[in-house]
Order: sequence, then C-alpha cells, then structure tokens
Amino acid sequence: MTSSYYGRDEEVVQRLRPEPMTAEEEAAQAGIEDIDFDIFRHKMHMIALEGKETTMKLGASTAMRWGDVAFGIFTAQGDLAICATGIYHHAVLGQIPIKYIVKHWRDEPSVGVRDGDAFFYNDPYYGGVHAADMGLAIPVFAGNRLICFVGAAVHTGECGGTEPGGTVQNAKSKYYEGLQMPPIKVGEKYALREDLLNMFAAMNRDPRTMILDLKARLAAARIVQRRILALVNEKGADFVIGALRRVLKVTGEAARQKVAALNDGVYRQPRFLDMVGSEPGLTRINLTVIKKGDRLTLDLTGSSPMLHDKPLNSFFQGLIGLAMVYFCGWFFHDLPANNGLLEAVDWKFPDDSLVNAKGEVSTSLAPVVQSYFAHAMFLCGARMVYSNDPKRAVAAWFSGFAIPIYAGINQAGEPVADITPEINATGAGGRSDMDGVDGAGAFFATVSDCSDVEATEADRPVVYLFRNFFNGSYGHGKYRGGAGAGVGLMVHHVPWLAMGSMGAGAHFPSTLGLFGGNAVPPTFVQTVDGSNMKALMRANDSPIARSLAEVYSAMNPEQGDRKFNDIDMVVRPRLNGDTSYISVSGGGGYGDPLEREPAAVLRDLKFGRTTAWAAQNIYHVVYDPDSLRLDEAATIARRQDVRQRRIARGRPYEEFMADWRKLTPPKDILKYYGSYPDPEAGFAPQALPKAVNM
Amino acid sequence: MKIRITEYLDIDLAAETWCCHGCGQKFGNARDNYKKGLLIAERPLEEVHQPLVTGEQFSFKPDPDYCRLIELYCPNCGALIDNEYLPPGHPLTHDIELDIDALKRKHGVC
Ligand SMILES: [Zn+2]
Repeated sequence: MTSSYYGRDEEVVQRLRPEPMTAEEEAAQAGIEDIDFDIFRHKMHMIALEGKETTMKLGASTAMRWGDVAFGIFTAQGDLAICATGIYHHAVLGQIPIKYIVKHWRDEPSVGVRDGDAFFYNDPYYGGVHAADMGLAIPVFAGNRLICFVGAAVHTGECGGTEPGGTVQNAKSKYYEGLQMPPIKVGEKYALREDLLNMFAAMNRDPRTMILDLKARLAAARIVQRRILALVNEKGADFVIGALRRVLKVTGEAARQKVAALNDGVYRQPRFLDMVGSEPGLTRINLTVIKKGDRLTLDLTGSSPMLHDKPLNSFFQGLIGLAMVYFCGWFFHDLPANNGLLEAVDWKFPDDSLVNAKGEVSTSLAPVVQSYFAHAMFLCGARMVYSNDPKRAVAAWFSGFAIPIYAGINQAGEPVADITPEINATGAGGRSDMDGVDGAGAFFATVSDCSDVEATEADRPVVYLFRNFFNGSYGHGKYRGGAGAGVGLMVHHVPWLAMGSMGAGAHFPSTLGLFGGNAVPPTFVQTVDGSNMKALMRANDSPIARSLAEVYSAMNPEQGDRKFNDIDMVVRPRLNGDTSYISVSGGGGYGDPLEREPAAVLRDLKFGRTTAWAAQNIYHVVYDPDSLRLDEAATIARRQDVRQRRIARGRPYEEFMADWRKLTPPKDILKYYGSYPDPEAGFAPQALPKAVNM
Repeated sequence: MKIRITEYLDIDLAAETWCCHGCGQKFGNARDNYKKGLLIAERPLEEVHQPLVTGEQFSFKPDPDYCRLIELYCPNCGALIDNEYLPPGHPLTHDIELDIDALKRKHGVC
C-alpha cells in the first residue's frame, strides 16, 4: 500500500475543495471556446442524467428505485465536475472515495487503475454519511490516458449491521454497523469479480438487492463511459479534460460572487436533538455562519460532545456535504452542483464533538445529525438571504426522517431488508410567497418519488392501511408548511416481520418554522400488537381508520396491545396482522399565522388540509362551520384582540429572562448534552433543578 | 433609509436601529440583539400544538421537559416578530448580528 499504514486516511478527507490545477489541465484550457464550453456543460449534464436514470431503472433497493441517486463525472484527480442528482450532499462527498483511489491505488502495483476496472466503496469515513450509502466508480481511459472517473452513489437499504435496514440504533462502535469498505477494486477487464460479490452477499441480509444495486451502478457507469468516449472522439481528450476542469473553476468564481452580494454578518441557530439512538436524551448542534466578503464560514463550536458508545455522531465532512443540500438546492440553485462551490466556504469543527466523530465511534445515525445541521443551515440561510432575495428564504422541509425499517422473508420466500419510501413524500417548508408544497419529496433528495403503494406491497410483506396527507404533520404560519404523509402499515402474507423506525423529533420538534412560523409537531410510532385489524377488514361494514387523523379519533375501532414508541424505534418482531402508524411529516411554517389570508384557511378546511381546531385556535378565523363562509369583520376584530392579548402577556426582555434563566431540563435527559446550556463550558457539577412549568 | 432584513424586521440605517416592518416601532440598537426590544412570552404548548392523544408519552405536542415555545412580539402592534423553540432556560439566540458599517457602506449611508 502506498500509504505507510492500514489505518484511516485523515488527509484525503480534508480535500473537499478542488485540487490544484495540474499542468495537463492547465494546458488543456487553451483551445476551449466559450460556446463549445457551454455546449459541453449541457451535454455532460445530459450524460450524467442518463447515468442517474439508468441507475434508478436497474436498481432494486427502495432508495435506488425512487431516486435518492447521485451520478457523478469526476476529473482524473477525483474532483466532482458534473453531478446529476437531487441528493446534493454527494455533490461534495462523492469525490473523496475517488481521490482515495487516485492517491492509494493508481500507483500501487498490486491494485492499479486500468481500463475496465470497477471500484466499490461504502466506508462512511470516505463517503461521509453512513455505511448504507454505497458507491461504485470506474476510470474512463482514452487509449492509455485517464480522462475522468464516473460513478453512482446511492443508499442501499441494508449493510449487514447488528440491526437491519442500514442503521443501528444500539451501536456502541463502528463494528456494529456491518460492511464498511474503503474503495476496493471489484472488477477488472470489464468483468466483476464473482468471489468478491459472493463475499458482499454473504455479509448482507438482502443479498439480492445488494448485488442488483451494485450491478446497476456499474451498468449505468458503462453507458456514461461510452457517451464520454464518443465525445472524446469528436472533440479530443484535451478538450474534455480541460472543460471538466473549467466547470469547477467557473463554479467557484460564481459561488464567491453570489456570496459577496449578501449582507456581512453573523447568523446563528442552535438545534436540539432529542434522542441518542435507542434512548432519549438532549444534545445540541450549534451552527454559527459568519459571512464576510465572498466567504462563508460554518462554525460548529458549542456543539455537544462526541458520544463514545452511541450512534449519534457524524464525521465533519458529512456536515459539509449536507450544507450543500441547502446551497445547491436553494442558495446556489442556479449554479452547477459540484465541489467548486466550496471555494466560497470555510469551516471550523470543535475537536471533541458529535459533529466531528473520531476513532471507532459509531456514525450509524449520522444522517440525523446531518439533517438537523442542514435544518440550521436553512434557518441561518433564510436570515442571510432575505434582505437580497426574499424568495430564497424558505422554512425547512421535514428534517426528522421518520423512516419505517423492516427485515425478514417476503411473500415470495426471498429475504428483504430495507426502508419504506415515504421519506420522499415529506412536505416542503413555507415560503415568503406561498405555502410549502404538500408531499414534495425529501429535503436532501428533492428529485425523488415515494413509489406507488402497490409497487411497495408487491415484494414487501406489508399492506398499506392508508397513505395520505396528515394535517398534524406540518407547521402553521402566514404560509403553512406542506403536509407530509400519514401511513398505516400491517404485516401481511408472512408469519412475522422485524419492524422499527429511524428518525428524531418525538420530544423536541425536528423541524422549526421561520420568522414566527410554527414547528412541525412531534412525530412518533403507534404500534398495535395482536390487532383485530384483519377481522375488521373482513367485516365489510367496519368503519376502520382511513387516515392518521381517524386513527387518533374516537371512532377508531381497532383493538389490541397499543403502544406509543419513540420515532427512533429499534426493530422488533411484528406478527401477521400487527399494525404500525407513523407520520412522515411536513414542512415548517413561515411567518405569523395571524397574517394568513382567511380565504386560504377556509380553502384548506374545504379540501381537508387543515383542521377546525387550527382555523379557530391558530389562525383565529371566524366563519360559519356549515357553509365555511367567512365573517370578515369578526375575523379582523378577533385577530386584533389576539394581538392585544400578546402585548398584555409579553414581558420586557430583562424581566422575562430573569425568570427564564432559572429553568433547566431534568438532569436525566442532559446525560449526553455536556454542560448546560453551553456544552463546552465544562463539566463541573451544577445544580440542576427539575423543570418548572411557568 | 430603511433596509428590509426579515419578514418583520427593518433596519433604519441612519438611526442604526431595528424597527418593526409593520408599524415602524423601534426595537433598539441595530448593532445589538433586536430581541431585547421586544415583548416576550412563553406559550403553553397545547395552545399551539393540539395534542391528539392524552395520557401517553407522545401526543403531537412537544415534551415540556425538552422543549418550550417562546414568542416575541412588537410592543406596539402585537405582530409576532419571531419565535424560538428552546429547552427550558436555554438562552435566546442572537440569530442576526449584522456588520452595520458594511451595510451602511453598501447602501451609501455614512
Ligand atoms: Zn409593530
């Protein structure tokens, strides 16, 4: 091995920004006309899109079939120049494994990088997120000259950990998480190594999906390779090498220009996580964004300490990846998604912190840490951009995951282990000019789909009792968040299925509002073991619940052992006929709910997208409940009265703070937080009185 | 010259003060935290997040051991300028701290 030891490469993960330009890349710039460059960018994006679509069409896992796919074209040094994706974190993370291959394997005689090779990787240290995110890349040679790498990164829903479905809530170290491959050559001379595939299959609960996904990535990469070689034939290798490099250069320059236009200042947002895996507990992720000139600095000082025997940690590079979800999708929405954007971004991570995992700690729930961080990025971003471009100031999309997980043998006798796809049907956040879109997608995978329930039922041993919009799933506001999905699932066809869920925000809302908008309500899992649901369904006149709202209404006739579980619920066996209910929730609200157009409230009521309770208690609209006709004068008067009541109950800052400062959460939930309220202030014993209700 | 900073906040650059966008009420020094010029109240969570379940650990209402809701109002017009969901006793966030000198240069106000 060309590095001096077999441990982690702590240097290569620092190289998130573009590599210095090589002499070859520099020389290749000379003959490129601007018009040819524009055509090149468009053509390469189309080629990458074909790669993404092919990956989706051929893959088997939930995430791959429904669009949580990133397809990239990388320079020969490993920088990601072109990315077709709605899952933008891979736009900066996908390159690290390629840089690893270039650094370690290209000149290593026992490995090498040659035409016809294929490399697989899923070590989260290099992929940045967690072990379920797997990638495959191939080099593209024209003759003996390495032109670029191409490859796909996708979440495959099972990686052989001590719990199924890609995340391990009880993990005490990385060794609980299953397969974690630094980049390894799995194919040469245009053939996959069957002995290696056999090994991957043996380490995975769902070998069929594991292997199909791996082959799908390779097949897509081979198509993209052909397209790029056709372009090399037409325009020459120098042109392609030079133009790929130029994409990164112009992206970086444009990013710095966009940043320079914003108001200089400091923007802050702490985020509070309410679970550390299988156990509840409070921790803080503390984001400070410093904007000066054409640079943004993301400073995570003040975040809770690293959790040594819990899975709620993230590598720092994963957070930078998730920052790009906000940047690529919202702030830099009109720039190419590639790591050139990071020319405008600096970062600072404290050493002992759950946002800067080190050593052998588990990062199995890193997606949650990163999602909460990305949410803070949305809020800081909104405050930073509103003054220049209010339409870019959006409340966050649902950030709490709430993903059902399952594993077992399906109705065809095949092993399955994966997640359900409703994460791709969460609500968007409210905006300065409109409500968040209902069932929009996932904030990190906006170009995605949640599958038809029939497609999911076809090879998963569950029946959907319902899947539709849930009014308790979004934040209210002048512009409300988009609704997410309420889902009812029942084990069917098989004697049993292991089921759980992954997410956060059962105690403390995962998704806050913006500029006074409300947070998304907490989300949790209701389970009914020994349910009478199948008997109710057989009796054709039973009024069974057809939505989450009806599950929680007095009419719900379902009987059984009912439990209310944290949204981060370790898998346990569920028997045929057992049911689960979950809200894969919506977006945060934007602005003061009292400013919402009464007509919009009544329209929501008419179409069942809000409740009478909210219309009366949140929006303070006065209307006839039968005709839904607005009483405009009474509404104006009532809203004015609400404003007067606000003034009457509000207290000046110092007076309020004098009492507020005396409060603290109960000691048992601060076990993992660090010192309170500033985790880094030290661990000296302090008096922690029980929280007092005011 | 007033510059819009958020949905509900302006800055009067010449006077260097935060102002209510709706009514013009002054909230204090633009170099300081605007929250110091607002009225503040803790809202009972069930008034804002309807619990759909009673007597259980979870209910669609945040858990007050973990989370409280703070609202910040304009003392003149009662507009909800912003809110914060915070653990009990956690300091309010100084969420926008602008470089006022840079902002004045940008807009030609000296
Ligand atoms: Zn006002």
